[in-house]
Amino acid sequence: MFEVQNLTARYGPLIAVNDVSLSFETGVRIGIFGHNGSGKSTFLKCLVGGVRDVSGDVDFGGSPIVPDQVHRNVMLGIGFVPQVQNVFPNLTVEQNLHIAGSKSDSSFLEEAFALFPLLRERQDQLAGDMSGGEQQMLAVALALMTRPQILLLDEPTAGLAPAIVKSVLGSLSRINSELGTGLILVEQNVLAALDVVERAIVLKGGRIVFDGDSEELRAKEDLWAWF
Amino acid sequence: MEYILTVMVLIGINVILATSFNLILGYGGLMSVAHPIFYAIGAYCSGLLAIHLQIPVPLSILMGAGIAMVLSFGVSLPSLRVSGDYLVIASIGFQLGILHVINNLEFTGAAGGLTNIPVLNEGPSRSLVFVLLIAVVAACAVLLVGWIVEGDYGRAITAMRNDEEAFSALGRNAMNIKIVLFAIGSGMAGLAGALYAHYFAYVTPEQFGIFTSAALLTMVVVGGAATTWGPLVGAVLLTTLPQAITFLGLPVSIMAPLQGVIYTTLVIFFLFARPQGLMGGTRGGGGLEAWSASAAFRARRDAE
Repeated sequence: MFEVQNLTARYGPLIAVNDVSLSFETGVRIGIFGHNGSGKSTFLKCLVGGVRDVSGDVDFGGSPIVPDQVHRNVMLGIGFVPQVQNVFPNLTVEQNLHIAGSKSDSSFLEEAFALFPLLRERQDQLAGDMSGGEQQMLAVALALMTRPQILLLDEPTAGLAPAIVKSVLGSLSRINSELGTGLILVEQNVLAALDVVERAIVLKGGRIVFDGDSEELRAKEDLWAWF
Repeated sequence: MEYILTVMVLIGINVILATSFNLILGYGGLMSVAHPIFYAIGAYCSGLLAIHLQIPVPLSILMGAGIAMVLSFGVSLPSLRVSGDYLVIASIGFQLGILHVINNLEFTGAAGGLTNIPVLNEGPSRSLVFVLLIAVVAACAVLLVGWIVEGDYGRAITAMRNDEEAFSALGRNAMNIKIVLFAIGSGMAGLAGALYAHYFAYVTPEQFGIFTSAALLTMVVVGGAATTWGPLVGAVLLTTLPQAITFLGLPVSIMAPLQGVIYTTLVIFFLFARPQGLMGGTRGGGGLEAWSASAAFRARRDAE
């Protein structure tokens, strides 16, 4: 599980995340929302050590998340899917999956193909030639190759057509229910994401302004005033 | 005959330099232009060890390459913190800084250069034997780089070049790959420098400046960045071309800048007309197109 205590993250003089304390169980589905600049993506990156200038503590399963050591932190069982640039365009789908799975056994490649049959069909295609939705599927599959207990996804539906959004979010729900992998989504597409998550957190100015059941957030008459 | 053999030695040295530069810049996407300084470190260290400590020349050549390999940390460590344009600036600073030191130390010969460096071999067939030696070393350099970039490790290098953040997110350590690429590439450049010093017996600081960086960059771009044989073709072409134009009999005032004009024109031509270089294939098959594909890919994704 994640334990976040008094987390503050800075970019120079700018405080992006301000004294945030939270805890998450693995296996849960959590959505992190907020307007542009609210600190949600920075918060997600802090969970995997992707921000250098931080104070406070982030632990995962009792192990500290060390800032600027993403490659080590993910091996604790955290899958991280960056918002963009999350596949390797010069490599084929299969080569992408091999890079991701170099530290796990090859059987997991078959599991990734079982979860995303389209990737098997496209295994010899360059990742850079795939559509945005297909690349997002591949990015999730890459993160799954590290056998994570929890997946952190930074705006997985950004720039995708509504039909593809539904497909990507459906795949994530399936991963959670079939593999028991927890999900922490940072999303701008609030209504679509609320269908998938069970807990919602809203950030504003780097601070938590809502933390509760996703249905509670959806039911709010002044929902958009939170963003 | 002696002239042709000397040109062949220069071709061999440039093949080693361009191939090793391609490993760092082409395959690794690490925008360091300080490659000639490791060429200088190999040349000076090997020459000084042989002159002042009377170390046998073959051993001093290996030691020169080893010292260049170790000092590659001077560029690989900044590359862990900065990339792209910032790494270009950091590497230029490193190159000019070391050159400034060489230029001002008495025991390196200062601006006048290091003279009386013991030669590797002597005798009536000296140049021919050296050409054969350098051909073997150059072939080994090309094959070594080709072997490194094949297979799983090569794909990991490509992935790191495509996107470091995504690479780290998969639990892969980009830092290790950068250090290895700089160490191997710089060690090979040091070896080329040591071989040069013990053939020509004389080196000067001006041989290792920004102009040499530009010449090596031209060889890689024209031949094909991130291709196995491209730097070899580029090195052969751009070593023989300046030699060939000397036969035109032009005045020195025209000949001197002409070489720079040729290099610049070739780089611009290839950037626009054939970015994959002479040996690059289709998209993803090498050259500047593969080199910059991740940047284009990111731009397209950001625009969507």
